Amino acid sequence: MPALSPTMTEGNIATWRVKEGDSFVAGDVLLEIETDKAQMDVEAQDDGILAKIIQGDGSKSVQIGTRIAVTAEPGDDLSSLKTPAEDTPAPKEKRAEEPTKQASSQPLKESSSAPAAKSSPPSQTAGKGSAAKAQRQTYPLYPSVQRLLRENGLPKEEADKIPATGPNGRLLKGDVLAYIGRIEGSYSVEQSKRIGELAHLDLSNIKLAQPKKEVTLEELAAAPQTPPVAEGLDVEIAIPISLKAVMECQKRVQESIGVSLPFSTFIARATELANEDLPQSKSEKPSAEDLFNAVLGLDKVAGKKFSRGQFTPQVTALPPTSLRVTKPLTAKQPDILDILAGKTPAARSTKASLIRGAEKLVAPVNVFSVSAPKGDERRAQVFLERVKSALEAEPGRLVV
Amino acid sequence: MFRPVVPRAAPRSLLGPATAAQSTFRASNIYFQDRLRRGYASEAEEKDLVIIGGGVAGYVAAIKAGQSGLKVACIEKRGSLGGTCLNVGCIPSKSLLNNSHLYHQILHDTKNRGIEVGDVKLNLQTMMKAKETSVSGLTKGIEFLFKKNNVEYIKGTGAFQDENTVAVNLIDGGETSVRGKNIFIATGSEATPFPGLTIDEKKVITSTGAIALQQVPKKMVVIGGGIIGLEMGSVWSRLGAEVTVVEFLGQIGGPGMDAEIAKMTQKMLAKQGMKFKLNTKVTKGDDSGESVKINTEAAKGGKEEILDADVVLVAIGRRPYTAGLGLDNIGLETDEKGRLVIDQEYRTKIPHIRVIGDVTFGPMLAHKAEEEGVAAVEYLTKGYGHVNYGAIPSVMYTHPEVAWVGQNEQELKAAGVKYRVGSFPFSANSRAKTNLDTEGIVKFISDANTDRILGVHIVGPNAGEMIAEGTLALEYGASSEDVARTSHAHPTLSEAFKEAAMATYDKAIHY
Repeated sequence: MPALSPTMTEGNIATWRVKEGDSFVAGDVLLEIETDKAQMDVEAQDDGILAKIIQGDGSKSVQIGTRIAVTAEPGDDLSSLKTPAEDTPAPKEKRAEEPTKQASSQPLKESSSAPAAKSSPPSQTAGKGSAAKAQRQTYPLYPSVQRLLRENGLPKEEADKIPATGPNGRLLKGDVLAYIGRIEGSYSVEQSKRIGELAHLDLSNIKLAQPKKEVTLEELAAAPQTPPVAEGLDVEIAIPISLKAVMECQKRVQESIGVSLPFSTFIARATELANEDLPQSKSEKPSAEDLFNAVLGLDKVAGKKFSRGQFTPQVTALPPTSLRVTKPLTAKQPDILDILAGKTPAARSTKASLIRGAEKLVAPVNVFSVSAPKGDERRAQVFLERVKSALEAEPGRLVV
Repeated sequence: MFRPVVPRAAPRSLLGPATAAQSTFRASNIYFQDRLRRGYASEAEEKDLVIIGGGVAGYVAAIKAGQSGLKVACIEKRGSLGGTCLNVGCIPSKSLLNNSHLYHQILHDTKNRGIEVGDVKLNLQTMMKAKETSVSGLTKGIEFLFKKNNVEYIKGTGAFQDENTVAVNLIDGGETSVRGKNIFIATGSEATPFPGLTIDEKKVITSTGAIALQQVPKKMVVIGGGIIGLEMGSVWSRLGAEVTVVEFLGQIGGPGMDAEIAKMTQKMLAKQGMKFKLNTKVTKGDDSGESVKINTEAAKGGKEEILDADVVLVAIGRRPYTAGLGLDNIGLETDEKGRLVIDQEYRTKIPHIRVIGDVTFGPMLAHKAEEEGVAAVEYLTKGYGHVNYGAIPSVMYTHPEVAWVGQNEQELKAAGVKYRVGSFPFSANSRAKTNLDTEGIVKFISDANTDRILGVHIVGPNAGEMIAEGTLALEYGASSEDVARTSHAHPTLSEAFKEAAMATYDKAIHY
């Protein structure tokens, strides 16, 4: 079974296009092979006769290197040929051709000029050379190859019989050195394997990045699960926000125009701003307008949907530690009026506390929290982060 | 029913000065035009291929796809094609390197050659303008190629809406979306910032700021002695800055450069006036004052030293850029370094989405991205693409240039491969002699048994052009003898290449 791609490990034989006993010429399609990726034709590299098909039509999962057929030289008498035993190298069907070749015509040439080394190489390469195969060298031979052939008295045609390890079956200097026994036969095969590996991206041992968002999502998801609470309960989301920048800004305003702006102004403006265009609540029912747009197909165009939020943060001077605290509010019952009005319950319940909280603003870091119905955590999170950036980054812009 | 439509059409985003332009109120007739256009875009025919990113990987893939007859669209947010390479990378830096070299040569060298020049003055503004002319000519050239090859060019920021749809926030305002049977991600990379230093591209700069300084700084510190750091350090050193390069590793040029070549190069650059602090780490930086202070200490712990600089160039590497791409919407994964995970055919786990260029694995080089652009399209159209990652050259365009391909001595030692080294100095090359530019060597590394070339490393004049021959040799699995037996014109620098090959399998003639 020939390897038709570098990643192929096995293949199915779809159909043999040549029948047993038929002869073929170089370029004829011998058979069709299916891999997991594609179906490909295998063409003959050389003229010959298909002596025997070992893996017939429809053979499944044939490993690479398994013998699938035996071919013979054109003109060989098939009845007299013996099929060599399959211990030998990764025989692409071409491979199987070699031993038969040797059996018939080789001995004559061998006696001529070649050094003694020549008879041993085939067995050497046959033993280990799983990737190397001899093939007709259609390109001009490399200068080093030509020299070695001449120096060792090998005719040019001999090049076609030397297992070649170069890119696309090119015959390299090392292959000839191995063939004439100057270096160990398996060396160039191993070398070409090593270099072949360098030719590909190393995609082994990929360490996937830990998805950043999942942590918070898990927290959010896990939190309501731990205590056995009924669904639909509100979740309180808190985030520490430094009011240092606000205090500085306040001071600047006081100094420059002599007006004292209360904290509550900053917070109210930031809240106003942050409530705009929040990601749409998961629990929210589509409005008539949304449905109309969906009919027109406009919803796909508009991208992410946004809607105005109703959050009001509750401010408390800092209890120390954790960056992001999420805990379910156990006591609160959903108010039927809120449901009817489609309002976030938090809007009402925290209004009073905002004023109360605003009075205690002394510490530079305060915890801002909102409670949101289940499914709206993300909305609340976005809201709080916006409040944070508004107050921390450029509070001046809130009051200009 | 239509009443709330207008405010929704003008989404106000919070606090974002960048997006503030969108929040302007639109008259309703404009809105309806807009809506018509958007409606049209969403119903437009599905493209065969949508490419996000018009950098080297993206634009090459787009042209190749157009040539193969695919319906292709390329989304680019910069406003000009060519990506980092053309706009703020390879191309502008080469303009500055070439012109600053001329300037430096006239100041220090031409007199010895019998050319006496009077008053030599640097006009940095004009030098920058020359750079911009080169850049704009080339980027416009790509736009022309897009038209020629029927590539639709969408100027805007693309983000995945779903596996086949990319929403585009257009530069000129408005939105559209494109659907593609196949999508290539080619969003490139950005400079890795140095923790503790805020990059303002004036005092603390990346390569982007380094090609656009308004005046020559007196003192410049380069953090990172890799290719980008040394090239930009060279430019400003030639123009008169006192440049100090701080490198964490024990050699300059990054880990790919052959150690022997790196040492030689360092000596040559030091002769030109650059200072080097190797095995040194930057512990912190302070950019609050007029100048920037950089605290350094020996990498293995040791004495602390504070460097003072007008400008600090952060050149510690680049990282994949996927911000705002909406990867979460389609669940694509990145590895720890932010590279998008692919297979050998550049496919993500969603097979019709492929990733090419800096944003995925492999060296962050424009020519590698280009190869991948072609290969990825060929996988699409032909089922087979070719990129040989073992034969991708690297070039550093200092003077002299440094170029290499294949493996270096350190790597081969680590792999336990027995090898032979042959080298030839340019001081023995006739053309280098006549040019009075004789610094450097060509070094071949070939296998001790088979003589197959494993790596070629050059430091010397025109090394970047010469390395092409080494790359070709590697691609064809040639031995050093094959190169040595190939004729090279006389008198050329390339003879040094041939002689080094001779020295590897046999002996050089002229040395």
